[in-house]
Amino acid sequence: MSSKENFNQISPSEFFYRNRDLAGFSNPTRSLYTAVREFVENSLDACDHSGILPNIHMTIKAVDPEKPDPKPYILTVKDNGPGIPSKHVPLAFGTVLYGSKFGLKQARGMFGLGATMAILYGQITTNKPVKVKSNADGKTRFDFEMKLDIQKNKPVIMKKQETSSSEQGLSVSITLEGDYAKAGTKIRDYVYQTSLITPYATITFDDPKGEKFHHKSIIRSMPPAPTVIAPHPYGIDVETIRRMLVDTHYQIPNVDDKMIEKIRKELGMSKSKFTYKEIMKKTEKKWKSLTRPIRVVIALMSFLEADFEQLQKIRIEDVDLRNNKLVYWDYSTSQTLAVDMDTESPYYKQLANTVQGESLTHFLTKRFQRVGPTAALEFCKFAKFKPETRVGNMTDQELVKLSDALQTYEGFRSPDPTCLAPLGAEPLEKGIQRRFEPDFMAVVQRTASAYSGFPFVIEMGIAYGGKIESRGTNVYRFANRIPLLYDEGSDVVLKVVKDTDWNRYKVKSDSAPFIIVSHICSTRVPYKTVGKENVADRPEIEKELRLALQFLSRKLSGYMSKKGQAEAAKKRANLYSKYLPLVAQFCTELSGKKKEPNYKKMIKEETALNNTDQNKEVENNG
Amino acid sequence: MAKKTTKKVTKKETKKEKIDKSKKLIQALKNHGAQIYEDLENGEFPKFSIPNRSISNIIYDKKLRQYVLGTNSSLRSARNSSQLRSFTQLLWLAFFANKLTHEKKSSTLRDVYYSSQAFAVDFEDQQESDNIIVDLEAVLSQPREDFFVFPEERSSIFGDLTIEYTIPGYEGKTQNLSSHPDGYAIGPSMTSAQLTDTSAELVIAIEKGGLFTRFVEEQVDKKFKSIIINTGGQAPRSTRTLLKRLHDELGLPVVILTDGDVYGEHIAMVIKSGSANAAHLRELTVPDAKWMGVWATDIDKFKLPTIPMTESDIKRCYDLLKDPRYEEGLWKRELEVFIKIKRKAELEAFSKYGLTNITEKYLPKKLEESKSF
Repeated sequence: MSSKENFNQISPSEFFYRNRDLAGFSNPTRSLYTAVREFVENSLDACDHSGILPNIHMTIKAVDPEKPDPKPYILTVKDNGPGIPSKHVPLAFGTVLYGSKFGLKQARGMFGLGATMAILYGQITTNKPVKVKSNADGKTRFDFEMKLDIQKNKPVIMKKQETSSSEQGLSVSITLEGDYAKAGTKIRDYVYQTSLITPYATITFDDPKGEKFHHKSIIRSMPPAPTVIAPHPYGIDVETIRRMLVDTHYQIPNVDDKMIEKIRKELGMSKSKFTYKEIMKKTEKKWKSLTRPIRVVIALMSFLEADFEQLQKIRIEDVDLRNNKLVYWDYSTSQTLAVDMDTESPYYKQLANTVQGESLTHFLTKRFQRVGPTAALEFCKFAKFKPETRVGNMTDQELVKLSDALQTYEGFRSPDPTCLAPLGAEPLEKGIQRRFEPDFMAVVQRTASAYSGFPFVIEMGIAYGGKIESRGTNVYRFANRIPLLYDEGSDVVLKVVKDTDWNRYKVKSDSAPFIIVSHICSTRVPYKTVGKENVADRPEIEKELRLALQFLSRKLSGYMSKKGQAEAAKKRANLYSKYLPLVAQFCTELSGKKKEPNYKKMIKEETALNNTDQNKEVENNG
Repeated sequence: MAKKTTKKVTKKETKKEKIDKSKKLIQALKNHGAQIYEDLENGEFPKFSIPNRSISNIIYDKKLRQYVLGTNSSLRSARNSSQLRSFTQLLWLAFFANKLTHEKKSSTLRDVYYSSQAFAVDFEDQQESDNIIVDLEAVLSQPREDFFVFPEERSSIFGDLTIEYTIPGYEGKTQNLSSHPDGYAIGPSMTSAQLTDTSAELVIAIEKGGLFTRFVEEQVDKKFKSIIINTGGQAPRSTRTLLKRLHDELGLPVVILTDGDVYGEHIAMVIKSGSANAAHLRELTVPDAKWMGVWATDIDKFKLPTIPMTESDIKRCYDLLKDPRYEEGLWKRELEVFIKIKRKAELEAFSKYGLTNITEKYLPKKLEESKSF
């Protein structure tokens, strides 16, 4: 082959620029909608996590209203959240894959990817900078104007300005190519449905045609915030384990001025210069009170027989326990050197433990949720590992074996749902009540369940009649408090609804004023696409949805049969009033009588009788 | 003339009978009305007891030689909201039938359907009103003709028979039925008329209008001293009633001439012993009537040109074999021959041997034969 191929690393920004379809930025209609979602969800997440009742104001304005769609729009989302400290602003909005959401807890977005994608999309379609106004302390507002350097994945600040302001919060404004004529319905639906599932938020939307949509908050209390927790063994893969192993606590610490300062403090030494021997002597006295990193550094020093000055001239390359050698790079001579380690030395154990890491049982109990000492031992038996195996010593093959075993072992308790933030039955009920004013409604919150190590909770509501305007089964789907509007065809919730035989519950599913609200909360909602619009049908989730729907349908069925009885009684009364007079007329003529029989009391009695029958029925049902 | 005198004696009896029958009907309707009136007056919901007409309740009565209804009956109550409507319809029909009978005004099934609309009693379609009419027949055990509801006329009669009309406007008028060669339609006025005089000694019921005309032209009435009736296919109930009266009141034997196929055989059987559809009614059958032909065995005997039977013809043969009336004798034998030869012959087939062949050769031969069975 004569042609030369260039292998270049591309930046995350570059990657997403090339694959923007994946993130929901495939065309002007979809992109405008996705951008709205990303900013609104970021604002809601931020408020949720700092316990602030969200007040969000969104504006979409055409740059040139006369132009036909698609055309540039200015999208601004302003919130009353915690804001972003000014030093983080450029990175947060100017790099892809920067965010505070890498922990394991429920949030609307996962990695803060979407907002940057929206900014990126705005920039490539209109070449306009993003404008960020952030006030994190309620005193100073920082205004930024910046662009994204796609190739370098770096922000380019064009303007920065400081003003004093007492209004805390964040405002982000981008200019992007969009098609409001087509996306408008979906965006309005999105805003409306978001207010339904976030009844504690006030959301205002000024649309490009000058219409204002204002959804005031219905409740004044927020559902409890989720906590960040350790992962569950079922939800883990080899790469995650590897990352957990290379945790800072168990690495050889960097020796810099800061570290030396720390050591001096812990040893209680005030002088600036110390000999090696003086340090060792002090150490022996203070060993018990020393912190782990300090112990490790001192252990190194003991083998190197080095003082602080010497220590700063070298870099530790390897602690070779097999050959009992400590390998280091000497800056002064520019060569790799090694010293032997005395295995009898008390410091050897310290160093070995650090390098080898914790024992497997310790690792399992401390770094995972739902694993106690007994479960850890049982698991080791199952996976054929020695409980005291040092995780730092594990080979790649052993790691794979460990990872596989973690997922196949059935003895772990199901995941901890405290990292979830369901809305709660009561707020959901209030939300549905206020937005639909139905004749009948019921809500249910299932207990937490899990699929492949990720906990989830299903919340569902059902409502019938009243001011529900739509006809037929209308399903409002939510996941982690996000409305799902596109791709409903392949969604698991709709599958479950469709599978239900509504006749059994006395509901005419194609013509009844009837809605279902479904909310899936999970640390990881199994979306089918990056666009986050439809949930895949995991058996565990499907089962929970089915149980929730069955529970609610039975309640609805009870209501429907009462309603049906009332209607039947009314119909019967109508029948009597229509036909009994005819019967009286005909039989009078037929029998040759002059006066009609006294039948009118029968109509009244019968109607009254039916009503009491029905009341009895109601009592029985109650 | 002795014969004629005896017939005139029966005439008076029948007149009396006829009046009784009509009175009985009016009384029955009145009784139903009075019962319902009383129920309403007492604050109770009235109901009709209607004999069950489902297949499970239709049984063959060997003694009567016809299908009859069993003892099952169902209640139609005004209390039951799903029955109230049809209860009202039934009562209305009783009321309407009473009116018709009083005024001696005839009406058709279709008339009934439209008349209901004047009384706010709505029938969804004629099918529904027809069903209610059958319900009333069952309640009263009387055919609808008795309460002056008639089907469309399609059968006719010809021969030396004098009748005296009873319908309003014609009371006392007499008519001899041999005056008009096209025959007389068998309608309400005919069925309700008195049969006063005849010289005939035989009634020939024939399936087809074409042959009826031929028979009149060939003066079969005179040659065989007979009254000729065109049944127009399956005989309507008014025609069957008339046949029964000719047999019972005038003592005339009835013979039946049909196409040589399974349907023809069954036309004869229905005249003789009724149909399952009318199991709720008596007085519609002529058990002594004789099927004269064309038999399956006649096809070979008279060398008749034939056409092949269709699948459904053959299926019909097998269905009828399951009917208790076809279990024995002539009826069974002929069916089995039809199944064997798988061919059928129409009455017109005799024309192969000349237009008068049927009246000159076949008819005398079969009449002679029929005396022996």
